[in-house]
Amino acid sequence: MTNDRAASLLFLASGAYGLYFSVQLPMGTWNQPGPGIFPAVLSFLLLLSGAAWFIRGKGKQRAADEGGRRGAIAVAKNLATPLKIVGLTALFVLSFNLVGYLLAASLYLFILLLWVSRYGIAFSAVLAGAIGLASWIFFGKILAVPLPQGFLPF
Amino acid sequence: MDVLNGLLNGFQTALSFQNLYLCFIGCLWGTMVGVLPGIGPLAGITLLIPATFGLSPTGAIIMLAGIYYGAMYGGSTTSVLMNVPGESASVVTCIDGYKMTLKGRGGAALFISAWGSWIGGTLSIVGLMLLAPTLANVAMKFGPPEMFAVLLVAFVLLGSLGSGSFFRTMPMVFLGLLIGTIGMDPLTGSMRFTHNVHELYDGIGLLPVAMGAMGIGEILFATEETLVKVIHKIKFRDLWPTRPELAASWGPIMRGSGIGFVIGLLPGSAHVLSSFVSYITEKRLAKRPEEFGTGRIEGVAGPETANNAASGSAMIPFLSLGIPTGPAPAVMMIALLIHGIQPGPMFITKHPDVFWGLIASMYIGNVMLIILNVPLVGIFVSMLRIPFRILFPVILLICLIGTYSVNTSSFELAILLGFGIPGYFARKIKYDIAPLILAMIIGPTMELSLRQALMRSDGSFLIFWESPITMTLIGASALLVLWNIYRALRPTAASWEKALEEGT
Repeated sequence: MTNDRAASLLFLASGAYGLYFSVQLPMGTWNQPGPGIFPAVLSFLLLLSGAAWFIRGKGKQRAADEGGRRGAIAVAKNLATPLKIVGLTALFVLSFNLVGYLLAASLYLFILLLWVSRYGIAFSAVLAGAIGLASWIFFGKILAVPLPQGFLPF
Repeated sequence: MDVLNGLLNGFQTALSFQNLYLCFIGCLWGTMVGVLPGIGPLAGITLLIPATFGLSPTGAIIMLAGIYYGAMYGGSTTSVLMNVPGESASVVTCIDGYKMTLKGRGGAALFISAWGSWIGGTLSIVGLMLLAPTLANVAMKFGPPEMFAVLLVAFVLLGSLGSGSFFRTMPMVFLGLLIGTIGMDPLTGSMRFTHNVHELYDGIGLLPVAMGAMGIGEILFATEETLVKVIHKIKFRDLWPTRPELAASWGPIMRGSGIGFVIGLLPGSAHVLSSFVSYITEKRLAKRPEEFGTGRIEGVAGPETANNAASGSAMIPFLSLGIPTGPAPAVMMIALLIHGIQPGPMFITKHPDVFWGLIASMYIGNVMLIILNVPLVGIFVSMLRIPFRILFPVILLICLIGTYSVNTSSFELAILLGFGIPGYFARKIKYDIAPLILAMIIGPTMELSLRQALMRSDGSFLIFWESPITMTLIGASALLVLWNIYRALRPTAASWEKALEEGT
């Protein structure tokens, strides 16, 4: 599948979702437009443009099959590092309120430095602790951002 | 006289110790983010938004604007010395800038780049100062139909001038507009697409979306690449250009100022587009265009001037109409909204201290930047020795706290990450995500204008064809759409040749 066709599927799905839920809202009349009309029109346009891209992609599909495969390989290539980062960030977001900022941030940085950046355990631990603490002082104390404490007393 | 009085008052505000300090911090941080590949002005501005919470709105916008135009100065340093663009507007500077470095003229390229940036930046502030109040005065007479027509033309331009084709960009615009409708309907109070999630009642936060799609997406993309590059050293005495180099730069600098100023007014990636247009213009005007790409000073002077001029004029629609033309002005607009200030036609009248303080600070900031970027360039270059594998976790963490600190909401962190993933893939498959963000920001105003106009006209669409302003703008939008359809459907030279071959 070419990149454009993959993107067109996303547009089609978004358009279908938008249209399905917007038609359930009051549409009103042209002199009193309701809350559903604008999203319904947009969803329709999104569906239309998504379909146009999909058909255009189909027309080009045979000629671009090889290119499309190469494009897909290029997209999949190097995906490991971003995936690791996304996974770790998701864990950080989930644990943030539970374990508190200082611990969550230090752990997050430690694993990133160790696993993604491939530094040694000692270096990663010292750097992660130092940055975690510095950011906690800067944001939590100097800028007074109410960072979650979690189960820690500070 | 009003302009002079305003400017004098602006200098009084900008020259206070605190505002001078904030301007300096903004310019310094802007130069740093411009120098460091992988962090653009958008990430730079967002990272410092939490630091503005305790500041006055004037101080906050002075600092954030300093980052924006400071990044344009800093972006050329890595382009010239390492062949790595510090930010997207400096891509074109790599072509001749790096070749000059290989010839031993990298210092001169940096000097001319800073000099051109200063001239382009300063001229565009003069334009901003003169044009923004006039435009705001005109816009104050705008009713909902005129506002809708302005936004319509902005969206069509966004599609036409974006980095992708019109029909590739428009679905992103529609998607952005659709995302902008999430939350409470401003006219009836009905909930749209919220699915009983309380955090969505006020809509999706603009900052986590912009930061996620642009900032996180950019960082994820940057982690794929190796950043081990050769850094060429520059000595202070090497910075001075020769007389012929100075003479050859004047034309490109003046043309770059004009090109950048005009393109900066248009929605889209203005500073990127302006540097490309300036480069192409200089190449076309050159007596020996074949020498471009081998280290011509004109190839550095024009584009670097243009992107700085564009960053100044991009503030005009944002401040006087409330229409941000790019992601960085959009984030500045969000920052002003957090401070309770609504950019738009009433902004200059209601907050003259903020507007004129900003203008005066931009003059001062440009002087600071030329000092920072010429004699102190070595300090910024040494920053490039910090490995990106240390830098990126820090940037990620600051993005997360920056987003969290606006509303202390973990939900917004999820949005940040949720938009970071499509932002990354969009970059990977070469789709421009900026139109989506701009559409999301401007969309609610567009919907409100459309519905108010229809209510006023009792449902008649002829209201959009009543005033000369709306007629011109809607006519221009229609022509632009037709032109884009023609561009997409017209036979290319290759298809003509093929048809002729088949015919014979």
